[in-house]
Amino acid sequence: MADENGSNLRQFKEGVLSNNPVLVQLLGMCPVLAVTNSVENALVMGMAATFVVVMSNLITSALRHHIKPHVRILIFTLTIATFVTIADLTLKAYMYQVSKQLGAFVPLIIVNCMIICRAEVVAIKNGVGRSLADAFGIGIGFTLALLILGVVREWLGSGTLTIPGLEPFHVMPAAFTENGHNWVIMILPPGAFLTLGVVVAISNQIRARHAKGGAA
Amino acid sequence: MKKFIDESWLVLLMGICFAILLAFTQTSLQGRIDENRARALNDAIAQVVSDVETKEELTIDGNTVYKCLGADGNLVGWAVDASGTGFIDKIRVVVGLSPDGDTITGIKAIEHLETPGLGNKIDTGYPFPEQFTGKNATTQFEVVKHPPSRDNDIQAITGATYSSAYVTDIVNDVITRIRPRLAEHR
Repeated sequence: MADENGSNLRQFKEGVLSNNPVLVQLLGMCPVLAVTNSVENALVMGMAATFVVVMSNLITSALRHHIKPHVRILIFTLTIATFVTIADLTLKAYMYQVSKQLGAFVPLIIVNCMIICRAEVVAIKNGVGRSLADAFGIGIGFTLALLILGVVREWLGSGTLTIPGLEPFHVMPAAFTENGHNWVIMILPPGAFLTLGVVVAISNQIRARHAKGGAA
Repeated sequence: MKKFIDESWLVLLMGICFAILLAFTQTSLQGRIDENRARALNDAIAQVVSDVETKEELTIDGNTVYKCLGADGNLVGWAVDASGTGFIDKIRVVVGLSPDGDTITGIKAIEHLETPGLGNKIDTGYPFPEQFTGKNATTQFEVVKHPPSRDNDIQAITGATYSSAYVTDIVNDVITRIRPRLAEHR
Protein backbone atom coordinates (compact mmCIF):
# COMPACT_ATOMS: atom_id res chain seq x y z
CA MET A 1 0.00 0.00 0.00
CA ALA A 2 3.05 2.26 0.34
CA ASP A 3 3.08 3.17 -3.33
CA GLU A 4 -0.72 3.52 -3.61
CA ASN A 5 -0.43 7.14 -4.71
CA GLY A 6 2.38 6.36 -7.13
CA SER A 7 0.42 3.56 -8.74
CA ASN A 8 -2.72 5.74 -8.97
CA LEU A 9 -0.72 8.37 -10.79
CA ARG A 10 0.76 5.74 -13.05
CA GLN A 11 -2.70 4.34 -13.75
CA PHE A 12 -3.89 7.83 -14.67
CA LYS A 13 -0.92 8.50 -16.97
CA GLU A 14 -1.30 5.13 -18.65
CA GLY A 15 -4.89 5.97 -19.56
CA VAL A 16 -3.86 9.27 -21.10
CA LEU A 17 -0.70 8.13 -22.91
CA SER A 18 0.60 4.58 -23.18
CA ASN A 19 -2.83 2.96 -22.87
CA ASN A 20 -4.88 5.65 -24.59
CA PRO A 21 -8.32 4.17 -25.40
CA VAL A 22 -8.43 5.63 -28.92
CA LEU A 23 -4.83 5.73 -30.10
CA VAL A 24 -3.59 2.50 -28.51
CA GLN A 25 -6.55 0.29 -27.59
CA LEU A 26 -8.68 1.45 -30.55
CA LEU A 27 -11.82 1.17 -28.44
CA GLY A 28 -15.00 3.22 -28.74
CA MET A 29 -14.44 4.04 -32.39
CA CYS A 30 -18.06 4.92 -33.13
CA PRO A 31 -18.08 8.39 -31.51
CA VAL A 32 -14.42 8.90 -32.46
CA LEU A 33 -15.25 8.60 -36.13
CA ALA A 34 -18.73 10.09 -36.03
CA VAL A 35 -18.61 13.30 -34.01
CA THR A 36 -15.08 14.63 -34.40
CA ASN A 37 -16.04 16.89 -37.31
CA SER A 38 -15.84 19.93 -35.04
CA VAL A 39 -13.83 20.78 -31.94
CA GLU A 40 -16.99 21.61 -30.01
CA ASN A 41 -18.63 18.24 -30.73
CA ALA A 42 -15.41 16.40 -29.90
CA LEU A 43 -14.96 18.23 -26.61
CA VAL A 44 -18.54 17.75 -25.44
CA MET A 45 -18.55 14.08 -26.45
CA GLY A 46 -15.24 13.59 -24.63
CA MET A 47 -16.55 15.20 -21.47
CA ALA A 48 -19.80 13.24 -21.54
CA ALA A 49 -17.88 9.96 -21.97
CA THR A 50 -15.47 10.95 -19.16
CA PHE A 51 -18.39 11.60 -16.82
CA VAL A 52 -19.91 8.21 -17.63
CA VAL A 53 -16.67 6.23 -17.27
CA VAL A 54 -15.89 7.96 -13.94
CA MET A 55 -19.35 7.24 -12.51
CA SER A 56 -19.40 3.69 -13.83
CA ASN A 57 -15.94 2.91 -12.40
CA LEU A 58 -16.85 4.56 -9.08
CA ILE A 59 -20.03 2.54 -8.61
CA THR A 60 -18.61 -0.72 -9.89
CA SER A 61 -15.52 -0.54 -7.67
CA ALA A 62 -17.51 0.52 -4.60
CA LEU A 63 -19.86 -2.46 -5.02
CA ARG A 64 -17.26 -4.93 -6.33
CA HIS A 65 -17.48 -7.29 -3.31
CA HIS A 66 -21.23 -7.67 -3.74
CA ILE A 67 -21.40 -8.14 -7.49
CA LYS A 68 -22.08 -11.75 -8.45
CA PRO A 69 -19.83 -12.69 -11.38
CA HIS A 70 -22.63 -13.88 -13.67
CA VAL A 71 -24.71 -10.72 -13.32
CA ARG A 72 -21.78 -8.32 -13.59
CA ILE A 73 -22.39 -7.36 -17.23
CA LEU A 74 -26.01 -6.61 -16.36
CA ILE A 75 -24.87 -4.33 -13.54
CA PHE A 76 -22.29 -2.56 -15.73
CA THR A 77 -24.89 -1.92 -18.41
CA LEU A 78 -27.47 -0.74 -15.87
CA THR A 79 -24.98 1.72 -14.33
CA ILE A 80 -23.69 2.99 -17.68
CA ALA A 81 -27.19 3.42 -19.11
CA THR A 82 -28.28 5.42 -16.07
CA PHE A 83 -25.40 7.87 -16.24
CA VAL A 84 -25.59 8.20 -20.01
CA THR A 85 -29.24 9.19 -19.62
CA ILE A 86 -28.27 11.76 -16.98
CA ALA A 87 -25.53 13.14 -19.27
CA ASP A 88 -27.97 13.29 -22.17
CA LEU A 89 -30.62 15.15 -20.16
CA THR A 90 -28.02 17.57 -18.77
CA LEU A 91 -26.73 18.37 -22.26
CA LYS A 92 -30.29 18.90 -23.50
CA ALA A 93 -30.94 21.29 -20.61
CA TYR A 94 -27.71 23.29 -20.63
CA MET A 95 -26.13 22.83 -24.08
CA TYR A 96 -29.16 22.48 -26.32
CA GLN A 97 -27.48 23.34 -29.63
CA VAL A 98 -24.57 20.95 -29.15
CA SER A 99 -26.85 18.18 -27.93
CA LYS A 100 -28.89 18.60 -31.11
CA GLN A 101 -25.74 18.29 -33.21
CA LEU A 102 -24.53 15.20 -31.36
CA GLY A 103 -27.96 13.67 -31.86
CA ALA A 104 -28.05 9.94 -31.26
CA PHE A 105 -24.36 9.71 -30.40
CA VAL A 106 -24.81 10.73 -26.76
CA PRO A 107 -27.31 7.94 -26.00
CA LEU A 108 -24.96 5.65 -27.96
CA ILE A 109 -22.26 6.11 -25.28
CA ILE A 110 -24.14 3.24 -23.59
CA VAL A 111 -22.64 0.82 -26.10
CA ASN A 112 -19.17 2.40 -26.05
CA CYS A 113 -16.98 -0.62 -25.34
CA MET A 114 -14.26 1.57 -23.81
CA ILE A 115 -16.47 2.16 -20.76
CA ILE A 116 -17.59 -1.41 -20.14
CA CYS A 117 -13.96 -2.48 -20.70
CA ARG A 118 -12.78 -0.25 -17.81
CA ALA A 119 -15.44 -1.71 -15.51
CA GLU A 120 -14.45 -5.27 -16.42
CA VAL A 121 -10.68 -4.82 -16.47
CA VAL A 122 -10.10 -2.38 -13.63
CA ALA A 123 -13.08 -1.36 -11.50
CA ILE A 124 -14.33 -4.84 -10.56
CA LYS A 125 -10.87 -5.85 -9.28
CA ASN A 126 -9.50 -2.66 -7.72
CA GLY A 127 -10.32 -0.14 -5.02
CA VAL A 128 -12.21 3.08 -5.51
CA GLY A 129 -9.09 5.29 -5.64
CA ARG A 130 -7.35 3.29 -8.31
CA SER A 131 -10.54 2.86 -10.34
CA LEU A 132 -11.17 6.60 -10.27
CA ALA A 133 -7.58 7.35 -11.30
CA ASP A 134 -8.03 4.93 -14.16
CA ALA A 135 -11.39 6.41 -15.19
CA PHE A 136 -10.05 9.97 -15.22
CA GLY A 137 -6.99 8.86 -17.18
CA ILE A 138 -9.04 6.99 -19.74
CA GLY A 139 -11.62 9.76 -19.96
CA ILE A 140 -9.05 12.50 -20.46
CA GLY A 141 -7.09 10.34 -22.89
CA PHE A 142 -10.30 9.77 -24.87
CA THR A 143 -11.12 13.50 -24.83
CA LEU A 144 -7.60 14.46 -25.96
CA ALA A 145 -7.67 11.98 -28.83
CA LEU A 146 -11.09 13.27 -29.93
CA LEU A 147 -9.82 16.84 -29.71
CA ILE A 148 -6.80 16.08 -31.91
CA LEU A 149 -9.11 14.61 -34.55
CA GLY A 150 -11.61 17.45 -34.11
CA VAL A 151 -8.99 20.17 -34.56
CA VAL A 152 -7.48 18.58 -37.68
CA ARG A 153 -10.81 17.78 -39.29
CA GLU A 154 -12.51 21.09 -38.58
CA TRP A 155 -9.41 23.10 -39.52
CA LEU A 156 -9.04 21.42 -42.91
CA GLY A 157 -12.73 20.77 -43.52
CA SER A 158 -14.39 24.01 -42.47
CA GLY A 159 -11.47 26.37 -41.83
CA THR A 160 -12.77 27.14 -38.35
CA LEU A 161 -12.35 26.03 -34.76
CA THR A 162 -15.48 26.16 -32.61
CA ILE A 163 -15.05 26.44 -28.87
CA PRO A 164 -18.23 25.93 -26.83
CA GLY A 165 -19.87 29.22 -25.87
CA LEU A 166 -17.86 31.33 -28.33
CA GLU A 167 -18.29 32.33 -31.96
CA PRO A 168 -16.45 29.95 -34.35
CA PHE A 169 -12.84 31.04 -34.63
CA HIS A 170 -11.72 31.38 -38.26
CA VAL A 171 -8.23 29.94 -38.59
CA MET A 172 -8.16 30.03 -42.37
CA PRO A 173 -8.70 33.10 -44.57
CA ALA A 174 -12.26 33.58 -45.81
CA ALA A 175 -11.18 32.68 -49.36
CA PHE A 176 -10.45 29.14 -48.12
CA THR A 177 -14.12 28.22 -47.80
CA GLU A 178 -15.63 30.78 -50.17
CA ASN A 179 -13.58 29.55 -53.12
CA GLY A 180 -14.21 25.94 -52.17
CA HIS A 181 -10.63 25.08 -51.24
CA ASN A 182 -11.76 23.50 -47.97
CA TRP A 183 -11.35 19.73 -47.82
CA VAL A 184 -15.00 18.73 -47.56
CA ILE A 185 -13.86 15.11 -47.28
CA MET A 186 -12.42 15.91 -43.85
CA ILE A 187 -15.86 16.59 -42.35
CA LEU A 188 -17.29 13.52 -44.07
CA PRO A 189 -16.76 10.03 -42.62
CA PRO A 190 -13.71 9.19 -44.82
CA GLY A 191 -11.92 12.19 -43.29
CA ALA A 192 -12.33 10.59 -39.87
CA PHE A 193 -10.71 7.34 -41.04
CA LEU A 194 -7.87 9.15 -42.81
CA THR A 195 -7.11 11.42 -39.85
CA LEU A 196 -7.38 8.56 -37.35
CA GLY A 197 -4.96 6.46 -39.43
CA VAL A 198 -2.39 9.23 -39.60
CA VAL A 199 -2.72 10.11 -35.91
CA VAL A 200 -2.44 6.46 -34.83
CA ALA A 201 0.62 6.04 -37.07
CA ILE A 202 2.30 9.06 -35.50
CA SER A 203 1.46 7.89 -31.99
CA ASN A 204 2.83 4.40 -32.75
CA GLN A 205 6.04 5.95 -34.07
CA ILE A 206 6.44 8.03 -30.92
CA ARG A 207 5.78 5.02 -28.69
CA ALA A 208 8.24 2.88 -30.65
CA ARG A 209 10.94 5.53 -30.20
CA HIS A 210 10.18 5.69 -26.47
CA ALA A 211 10.37 1.92 -26.11
CA LYS A 212 13.77 1.88 -27.86
CA GLY A 213 15.06 4.76 -25.75
CA GLY A 214 13.92 2.99 -22.56
CA ALA A 215 15.69 -0.27 -23.50
CA ALA A 216 19.00 1.38 -24.35
CA MET B 1 -36.81 -18.11 -3.86
CA LYS B 2 -34.01 -17.48 -1.40
CA LYS B 3 -31.45 -18.37 -4.05
CA PHE B 4 -33.13 -15.97 -6.44
CA ILE B 5 -32.94 -13.11 -3.90
CA ASP B 6 -29.34 -14.01 -3.02
CA GLU B 7 -28.26 -13.76 -6.61
CA SER B 8 -30.20 -10.74 -7.68
CA TRP B 9 -30.75 -8.43 -4.71
CA LEU B 10 -28.07 -6.04 -5.92
CA VAL B 11 -29.54 -5.76 -9.41
CA LEU B 12 -33.00 -5.14 -7.98
CA LEU B 13 -31.71 -2.58 -5.49
CA MET B 14 -29.64 -0.76 -8.11
CA GLY B 15 -32.59 -0.78 -10.48
CA ILE B 16 -34.75 0.96 -7.88
CA CYS B 17 -32.01 3.44 -6.86
CA PHE B 18 -31.21 4.34 -10.46
CA ALA B 19 -34.89 4.71 -11.28
CA ILE B 20 -35.25 7.21 -8.43
CA LEU B 21 -32.10 9.03 -9.54
CA LEU B 22 -33.35 9.25 -13.11
CA ALA B 23 -36.80 10.37 -12.05
CA PHE B 24 -35.20 13.11 -9.97
CA THR B 25 -32.93 14.24 -12.84
CA GLN B 26 -35.80 14.16 -15.29
CA THR B 27 -38.11 16.25 -13.10
CA SER B 28 -35.44 18.80 -12.26
CA LEU B 29 -34.26 19.27 -15.85
CA GLN B 30 -37.47 18.80 -17.84
CA GLY B 31 -38.53 22.41 -17.30
CA ARG B 32 -35.34 23.73 -18.81
CA ILE B 33 -35.47 21.26 -21.69
CA ASP B 34 -39.05 22.31 -22.51
CA GLU B 35 -37.98 25.96 -22.32
CA ASN B 36 -35.14 25.25 -24.76
CA ARG B 37 -37.58 23.52 -27.09
CA ALA B 38 -40.07 26.38 -26.90
CA ARG B 39 -37.31 28.91 -27.51
CA ALA B 40 -36.04 26.92 -30.50
CA LEU B 41 -39.59 26.92 -31.91
CA ASN B 42 -40.03 30.67 -31.35
CA ASP B 43 -36.63 31.44 -32.88
CA ALA B 44 -37.47 29.25 -35.85
CA ILE B 45 -40.80 31.03 -36.39
CA ALA B 46 -39.07 34.41 -36.19
CA GLN B 47 -36.59 33.16 -38.76
CA VAL B 48 -39.14 31.93 -41.32
CA VAL B 49 -41.72 34.71 -40.93
CA SER B 50 -40.49 38.27 -40.44
CA ASP B 51 -41.92 40.94 -38.08
CA VAL B 52 -43.98 38.58 -35.92
CA GLU B 53 -45.47 40.27 -32.86
CA THR B 54 -48.14 37.82 -31.74
CA LYS B 55 -49.06 34.31 -32.72
CA GLU B 56 -52.35 32.47 -32.81
CA GLU B 57 -52.11 28.72 -32.48
CA LEU B 58 -54.37 26.74 -34.82
CA THR B 59 -54.70 23.06 -35.61
CA ILE B 60 -55.13 22.19 -39.26
CA ASP B 61 -55.40 18.52 -40.21
CA GLY B 62 -53.42 17.43 -37.15
CA ASN B 63 -50.60 19.95 -37.62
CA THR B 64 -50.02 22.95 -35.40
CA VAL B 65 -50.07 26.11 -37.48
CA TYR B 66 -49.08 29.51 -36.11
CA LYS B 67 -50.98 32.42 -37.59
CA CYS B 68 -48.43 35.22 -37.29
CA LEU B 69 -49.65 38.75 -36.70
CA GLY B 70 -47.59 41.93 -36.98
CA ALA B 71 -47.42 44.96 -34.69
CA ASP B 72 -50.77 46.42 -35.86
CA GLY B 73 -52.57 43.07 -35.87
CA ASN B 74 -52.28 42.46 -39.61
CA LEU B 75 -51.46 39.01 -40.94
CA VAL B 76 -47.73 38.73 -41.73
CA GLY B 77 -47.52 35.03 -42.50
CA TRP B 78 -48.03 31.46 -41.41
CA ALA B 79 -45.63 29.09 -39.69
CA VAL B 80 -46.47 25.42 -40.05
CA ASP B 81 -45.00 23.00 -37.52
CA ALA B 82 -44.54 19.90 -39.68
CA SER B 83 -42.71 16.64 -39.23
CA GLY B 84 -42.01 13.55 -41.24
CA THR B 85 -39.65 10.65 -41.75
CA GLY B 86 -35.94 11.35 -41.56
CA PHE B 87 -32.85 9.26 -42.18
CA ILE B 88 -32.47 8.23 -38.54
CA ASP B 89 -35.44 9.66 -36.67
CA LYS B 90 -38.31 12.03 -37.39
CA ILE B 91 -37.43 15.47 -38.75
CA ARG B 92 -39.41 18.45 -37.47
CA VAL B 93 -39.44 21.47 -39.76
CA VAL B 94 -41.08 24.89 -39.38
CA VAL B 95 -42.28 26.04 -42.78
CA GLY B 96 -42.99 29.74 -43.24
CA LEU B 97 -45.63 30.83 -45.76
CA SER B 98 -46.57 34.31 -46.96
CA PRO B 99 -50.00 35.71 -45.87
CA ASP B 100 -51.63 34.59 -49.13
CA GLY B 101 -49.94 31.19 -48.75
CA ASP B 102 -48.42 31.35 -52.23
CA THR B 103 -44.76 31.80 -51.31
CA ILE B 104 -42.39 29.93 -48.99
CA THR B 105 -40.82 32.56 -46.74
CA GLY B 106 -38.31 30.17 -45.19
CA ILE B 107 -37.87 26.75 -43.63
CA LYS B 108 -36.04 25.74 -40.47
CA ALA B 109 -35.40 22.19 -39.25
CA ILE B 110 -35.69 22.33 -35.48
CA GLU B 111 -35.52 18.69 -34.42
CA HIS B 112 -33.69 15.91 -36.17
CA LEU B 113 -31.07 13.25 -35.58
CA GLU B 114 -29.46 13.37 -39.02
CA THR B 115 -25.79 12.39 -39.30
CA PRO B 116 -23.47 15.11 -37.94
CA GLY B 117 -21.42 16.59 -40.76
CA LEU B 118 -23.74 15.32 -43.49
CA GLY B 119 -27.47 15.21 -42.89
CA ASN B 120 -27.42 17.88 -40.20
CA LYS B 121 -26.78 20.43 -42.95
CA ILE B 122 -30.56 20.46 -43.49
CA ASP B 123 -30.44 22.71 -40.45
CA THR B 124 -27.06 24.48 -40.50
CA GLY B 125 -25.60 24.07 -43.95
CA TYR B 126 -25.88 27.10 -46.16
CA PRO B 127 -27.32 27.05 -48.80
CA PHE B 128 -29.67 24.08 -48.43
CA PRO B 129 -32.51 25.54 -46.32
CA GLU B 130 -32.15 28.95 -48.00
CA GLN B 131 -33.05 27.42 -51.37
CA PHE B 132 -36.70 27.22 -50.35
CA THR B 133 -36.96 30.89 -49.40
CA GLY B 134 -39.00 32.93 -51.86
CA LYS B 135 -40.04 29.92 -53.93
CA ASN B 136 -43.54 29.50 -55.31
CA ALA B 137 -45.55 27.34 -52.91
CA THR B 138 -48.26 26.39 -55.39
CA THR B 139 -46.21 23.65 -57.06
CA GLN B 140 -44.29 20.71 -55.66
CA PHE B 141 -40.54 20.82 -55.09
CA GLU B 142 -38.23 18.28 -56.64
CA VAL B 143 -34.80 17.23 -55.37
CA VAL B 144 -32.03 17.20 -57.98
CA LYS B 145 -28.35 16.28 -57.73
CA HIS B 146 -27.09 19.05 -60.03
CA PRO B 147 -27.39 22.85 -59.93
CA PRO B 148 -31.11 23.60 -60.23
CA SER B 149 -32.37 24.37 -63.73
CA ARG B 150 -36.11 24.73 -63.04
CA ASP B 151 -37.83 27.07 -60.61
CA ASN B 152 -38.82 24.53 -58.00
CA ASP B 153 -35.71 22.35 -58.13
CA ILE B 154 -33.90 21.91 -54.83
CA GLN B 155 -30.25 20.90 -54.99
CA ALA B 156 -29.51 18.05 -52.58
CA ILE B 157 -26.74 18.34 -49.98
CA THR B 158 -23.64 16.43 -51.10
CA GLY B 159 -23.54 13.18 -49.16
CA ALA B 160 -27.03 13.66 -47.77
CA THR B 161 -29.43 13.11 -50.66
CA TYR B 162 -31.87 11.20 -48.45
CA SER B 163 -31.97 13.86 -45.74
CA SER B 164 -32.52 16.52 -48.43
CA ALA B 165 -35.33 14.48 -49.97
CA TYR B 166 -37.01 13.90 -46.60
CA VAL B 167 -37.06 17.63 -45.85
CA THR B 168 -38.42 18.35 -49.32
CA ASP B 169 -41.13 15.70 -48.77
CA ILE B 170 -42.17 17.46 -45.57
CA VAL B 171 -42.41 20.82 -47.36
CA ASN B 172 -44.36 19.23 -50.23
CA ASP B 173 -46.74 17.66 -47.72
CA VAL B 174 -47.35 21.09 -46.17
CA ILE B 175 -48.03 22.52 -49.63
CA THR B 176 -50.59 19.86 -50.58
CA ARG B 177 -52.26 19.22 -47.23
CA ILE B 178 -52.10 22.42 -45.18
CA ARG B 179 -51.69 25.30 -47.64
CA PRO B 180 -55.14 25.03 -49.33
CA ARG B 181 -56.83 25.17 -45.92
CA LEU B 182 -55.10 28.32 -44.68
CA ALA B 183 -57.74 30.46 -46.42
CA GLU B 184 -60.41 29.19 -43.97
CA HIS B 185 -58.54 30.80 -41.10
CA ARG B 186 -57.46 34.06 -42.75
